[in-house]
Amino acid sequence: MPKDKPIEGEKRVFMTGNEVVAWAALAADADIMFGYPITPQNEIMHYWTRLAPKFGRDFLQTEDELSAGFTTLGGVLAGRKAFTATAGPGNTLMQEPMSMAEAMRLPMVAIITQRGGPSTGTVIYSQQEVTMTTLGGNGEGMRIVYSTATHQELFDYTIKAFNAAWKYRFPTFVLGDGYQSKMRESLTIYDPAERGIAIVPPEPYFGKPGVPGVDRPPSQLRNTYNMEEELYEVVEHYLEDYAKVAPEVAEYHAHYVDDADLVVVAHGVVARAALMAVKELREDGYKVGYFRPVTLRPLPEKELREVAGRTKKFLVAESANGQLARLLKEGAYGCTTEMLPLFRPGMGITPEEVIAEAKKILG
Amino acid sequence: MAKPVKIILAGEGGQGVQSVAEILAEAANEEGKEALYIPNFGVEQRGGVSVAFLQVGDEHIGAPKFQTGDVVVALSRRAIPRTRQYVGKDTIFLYDANIEGAEQELPRHAKKILAIPAISLAKNELHPRVFNVIILGVIVKLTGVVSEEGAKKALESRLKYKFDKEPALRELNYKAIERGMGLVADAG
Repeated sequence: MPKDKPIEGEKRVFMTGNEVVAWAALAADADIMFGYPITPQNEIMHYWTRLAPKFGRDFLQTEDELSAGFTTLGGVLAGRKAFTATAGPGNTLMQEPMSMAEAMRLPMVAIITQRGGPSTGTVIYSQQEVTMTTLGGNGEGMRIVYSTATHQELFDYTIKAFNAAWKYRFPTFVLGDGYQSKMRESLTIYDPAERGIAIVPPEPYFGKPGVPGVDRPPSQLRNTYNMEEELYEVVEHYLEDYAKVAPEVAEYHAHYVDDADLVVVAHGVVARAALMAVKELREDGYKVGYFRPVTLRPLPEKELREVAGRTKKFLVAESANGQLARLLKEGAYGCTTEMLPLFRPGMGITPEEVIAEAKKILG
Repeated sequence: MAKPVKIILAGEGGQGVQSVAEILAEAANEEGKEALYIPNFGVEQRGGVSVAFLQVGDEHIGAPKFQTGDVVVALSRRAIPRTRQYVGKDTIFLYDANIEGAEQELPRHAKKILAIPAISLAKNELHPRVFNVIILGVIVKLTGVVSEEGAKKALESRLKYKFDKEPALRELNYKAIERGMGLVADAG
């Protein structure tokens, strides 16, 4: 007899990020994971396969990432909370099913643990899957992407990802990285209900009760259209939906931005180094601020533009060659804020590096 | 706000540096401190030098990796040049006294350089298997990031199934911690 609650109350734990994700997926009532092994996400699968049977959940290992992505969509169509996890070249392969999820508004959830690229690159770490995760696939990037920085956030946002996916019906991503996957730190795991977090229930796309066209609209799911006009109408409608929900989905953190001459912008695990650097610079009297988009898609555009309007310079710190910066430039288009780079493709960034760069800029 | 203690451990695969960092991190967490441990898990697993990054403090730890360690421990010849980049003017650099040719490689700019005979102690007086537990004792004494009791408890919870089968192992491991702590006192 499977136990029904994976986590009773609250519990302080000390574990790797991959283990955190498995616990969060359980807490979010995920029904099934489909996956294919790739470092550094493997232990998400390992922990899930160990935990899932105890709570009546399922797992299927497929023959590759294309299949893992499409079977996840199959699970979603059947009304199951299905998810997958991948990284690097696996993320590349999975763009096709993710694009189909956009086309059919399927709430798939994917955990991405970024590794170095291009190609096989390293198995270690990067922030080089930002462009692909936010805008990959043929289509318009109608996705929700949460970029986490701590194990606590990995837990919180994995739960949130399932809720956002099933609420808004856009494919939803938790964008982590190899550091977050492999490192151990403390966090509090909890039963979402006890925190007042309602779990959005899944629902099947087919076989709903009632007569189609009489009692309810027919379930018509297409990813192919005969005419330009047909596709255009559908995409326009989806884009409208996306634009409408974007402001309520978008999240950010900002500190010390009111009087800042320079604002350090970073996302994910690099934001930890950025915040440490900014705090230290402030202690030394430098007027430096901190801005971190938590959602990379949709971007917290309004807030970004507000900060851009107030400060002279941005220092964009990322473990990629400007993938975050490109999103920021689009989001802040027309603002005159100078955007300076601290780009380290596939390399970690330490607070010391951010401090040194900021001091160089501020003189 | 007190800054966290930053520790780097490096050695050959199989020397158990990752286990030491993990046990220390778990012990610190159990003692109510904040810890962050991250292994360097790239090609090191396949024949390179294995490096562990560990931070222990009173508040939630910031960035996972760092430029300069407070304590840097190198347990093989190759680990010495590999960890040079993490040694600053305030770093205590520790290496095994049995590493041949270590002298030419040492980071002379460290605040303090300590040679400890952990390899020979393990081989001649205890057991090669507890070499990394001696190192655990060394770091406990040197940094105080966890108590001796805490380290023993963490070891116990990790190896309980082995200790229960063979109680002499518990004694051996505890002794290794104690002797490791003693090595630091001897090295001054």
